[in-house]
Amino acid sequence: MLTSPRQHIIPSVLAIVIAIVLASLLASALGAASERILTVFFISLIAVVGMGVYSGNSGILSFGHLSFMGIGAYTASLLTLPANLKVATLPKLPDWLATTEIGLFPASVIAIMFTVFVALLIGIALGKLEGSAATISTLGLLIIIHGVLIGWRDVTRGSQTFFGIPRETTLWSAAIGCMFALIIARLYRDSVSGLRLRAGRENAIAASAVGVRIRRERLVSWVLSAALMALSGALIAHFLGAISPKKFFFTDTFLLLAMLIVGGMSTVTGAVTGAVAITVVTEVLRRFEGGFSVGGFDMPAVFGTTQIGIGAIILFAMFRKPEGLAGLKEWEERVFSRPHAVKVTAPIEQPTKDTQPLIAKGMTMRFGGLTAVNDVSISLRPGEIMGLIGPNGSGKTTLMNMLSGVLEPSSGKFHRGEELLSGLVSHEIADRGIARTFQNIRLFPNLTVHQNVLVAALSTKGGVNAAARADAALERMGVIGHAHDDAGTLSYGDQRRVEIARALACLPSLLFLDEPAAGMNREETDSLMETLRMLTKELGIGVLLVDHDLKLINQLCDRIAVLNEGHLIAEGSPSEIRNNPAVIEAYLGPNKD
Amino acid sequence: MKKFLLISTMLGAAAFSMPAAAETLRIGLATAQSGGLAGYDSPVVEGFHIAVDEINAAGGIGGNVMIELIEKDVRSDAAQTSIAAQELVDEGVSVLILPCDADPALAAIGIVSSAEIPAISTCASSPTLPMIGGEYMFANFPGDNVQATVSASWAYEQGHTSAYIVYSPDTQYTTMPLYFSEVFEKLGGTMLGQDTHSIGQQDFSAIATRIAALSPQPDVIMTSSYEPDFPSMLKALRAAGVTSQVIGSDGIDSPTTFSLGDVGEGVVFTTAGHATEGSPLAAFNAKYEQITGNPSETVFNAVGYDLVKVLEAAVIAAGGSTDPKELRDAIANLENVQGATSLITYKGTDGMPVREVTLIRVKDGARELVGQPSPDASLIPAPRMQ
Repeated sequence: MLTSPRQHIIPSVLAIVIAIVLASLLASALGAASERILTVFFISLIAVVGMGVYSGNSGILSFGHLSFMGIGAYTASLLTLPANLKVATLPKLPDWLATTEIGLFPASVIAIMFTVFVALLIGIALGKLEGSAATISTLGLLIIIHGVLIGWRDVTRGSQTFFGIPRETTLWSAAIGCMFALIIARLYRDSVSGLRLRAGRENAIAASAVGVRIRRERLVSWVLSAALMALSGALIAHFLGAISPKKFFFTDTFLLLAMLIVGGMSTVTGAVTGAVAITVVTEVLRRFEGGFSVGGFDMPAVFGTTQIGIGAIILFAMFRKPEGLAGLKEWEERVFSRPHAVKVTAPIEQPTKDTQPLIAKGMTMRFGGLTAVNDVSISLRPGEIMGLIGPNGSGKTTLMNMLSGVLEPSSGKFHRGEELLSGLVSHEIADRGIARTFQNIRLFPNLTVHQNVLVAALSTKGGVNAAARADAALERMGVIGHAHDDAGTLSYGDQRRVEIARALACLPSLLFLDEPAAGMNREETDSLMETLRMLTKELGIGVLLVDHDLKLINQLCDRIAVLNEGHLIAEGSPSEIRNNPAVIEAYLGPNKD
Repeated sequence: MKKFLLISTMLGAAAFSMPAAAETLRIGLATAQSGGLAGYDSPVVEGFHIAVDEINAAGGIGGNVMIELIEKDVRSDAAQTSIAAQELVDEGVSVLILPCDADPALAAIGIVSSAEIPAISTCASSPTLPMIGGEYMFANFPGDNVQATVSASWAYEQGHTSAYIVYSPDTQYTTMPLYFSEVFEKLGGTMLGQDTHSIGQQDFSAIATRIAALSPQPDVIMTSSYEPDFPSMLKALRAAGVTSQVIGSDGIDSPTTFSLGDVGEGVVFTTAGHATEGSPLAAFNAKYEQITGNPSETVFNAVGYDLVKVLEAAVIAAGGSTDPKELRDAIANLENVQGATSLITYKGTDGMPVREVTLIRVKDGARELVGQPSPDASLIPAPRMQ
């Protein structure tokens, strides 16, 4: 299922098909040399978008993808290598493999399936790692698979050249493969999984808090990208006719990553732009490498010019365009920037049916020697607004983080009705009707406002009616006019509203708001209060509100809980709290007279 | 339109009225100018240039066929060799020169056989290269099996009766010791064992310890490993107290081997030639020093010169033709071409030339000629993938 409008997808797919067909026709007209350059370009491009499917959407740079290219190349080659040559050069192959000799197409399909299987196993293991640990582990993967290719001599000929592979990759088979890869990569980017993964890339904690299971989405993209790498590997092996493990190691990793980074990791447009830029530069430099003469001046051969050239482009790109030449948007997203007017049909929001209160007992959070929250018991009912106040550092946000599954409590339990919620992770809690916003805004800044909210709707309550839920939430928070702007470009107050809209799209029965009025002026705060009242009155949502604006708290809340140094020091109606000596002391210091 | 016609007629007339251009032999060099094989291909190409400049200065091959070179760096990589070979074929070369090792050279076999252009590896010595490469693939160096026969026979004649081999299965060249052990046993010697390593391994202490623990010690240790492995291996062996005669092969015919000091003393290896006084190699070395200002430090300079001499002889034998098929047939029938290192014969071989094998000993940091024996043909093992 796709999350982006047809006005984006159709031009994009058409452009891919037309560009590849035109380029292929042009190259055929120009002759064999151009055909070969274009064939290599297409095969490299498959690998570049393959890497982009994972690295671009997840934000985790992978150095290990060439391993999958290698696995695909060797698997396919073992299947297509003429049987007599196999007997001569790989005498220790098992009989069934030694006698197998099939065409490039079935061999590629089998190679892709085998690679997918390997990628799945590796992906499950690597999925536990985050950030730079994940990147470094992909480097380990590259080295390990390289070691296996060298060490498994009976099957791969070790570090010797694996030669005699039938040279069956033609310009058109590479073109069709490339078309297939680009379209898959483009569709994946805007699929439900792709959108969720991109939300996770933008902000992992927030994505999890709106129900996204980041690890699962990473695994999906990892496996898909491995399949594309395997296709690229099978095609390059049958283009060159000879491969060695070196082909799938650092040099080519560097070359393909350079294409991806120079063009821009996060889009298919970027992958194509980078591949074109690097290919043009290397083809030009490679011709000069053997020496040339200009106007009587003879330039001697300088080998290595190509690598220096690529290094220079990377430096240039990083200085001038750190997000890549194509930036963060697909070309069609720029050209058709406002594809459809959002139309809000009849409000589909229904009053929440979940009337069970959230009951937390003995919540405690220790960070090393510091006890941030100490034995706090609290309850929150749908339909009420509860204020949570206290001086800075009193544990309000920590308590909220525990109740939303962002932090695992050191001790204490919370449940709704029969169901124990403590121990569940963030995205599981989001799916059980508890949504939240963050003290320091955690939007997905490079996604549009609409996508920010849509991803929440898609990832909770089974994604039912997601588009309508997203639109309704945007409408309710008054930010529907910004639907197609990037969330990161909005004003502070609007970003806060989008964050609440995103939480509402999860159809929560309980909503945790961490300083929603911070940075808002009086009018904006008043309108926010009005909105929150409507939420409780019309939809029966319970709100847990942390804020320093005591006027807001006093006017809005049915009950107020006060934390000081991790302890719950008071709980009651606003007027009770105003007159509570412990609260006054916590805020104003002990009475000296 | 009239103007266009006029111009094209003039151009056409001009083309016809030009004197028939002299024939040009286009040679495509896809060699390793960077990476692990650059240490061999660079000196070969240097010697190659000396010969080409010499011939062109004299008016070309046979006085009328000028040589044109198109050069590409394949970075010691199989895939790059395949790409570069294809590009050179596209550019219409008559002969392809491929890298110094059988492995990258084999990467080009598909291209070479479908384009039907003769290809010669600069200095690959694996006899399997022309065997698998087909009728268009040639080598330019004494074969591994021939070198091993020469060194094994020499060792046995010296009274050495036991041997140990250290080889790397990473390339065909580094498996030469397997040929050695076959010949050595055929002669009546005893193999005490073998070890394998990977190329670029650096640390040979485990292998050295294992050999040092043997009792009795092997008389001979044979390897065809080269830089950077060979110096590390030799140092480790000597450090472990192993004093056996070490025998190497052409891969260690480099300045490094002669600058190892005491460790390197006494090492014997097979190579492609030796500059005895008055020999063609001495003449080449003098020419090399005159042109470059430096003495030639490796026989691979001369091997590059040989290669051009072979091509020159082939063009002359083909009656001045530069047609690839005619050149292939001419190369395959060459006999006793005088190169800088030795006489070179392809006739009657499958593409692995018959050339002189020289045994060199490292003495006082310099070359000492041990001999240039002709191997007993009945001892030479059949080429095989191993």
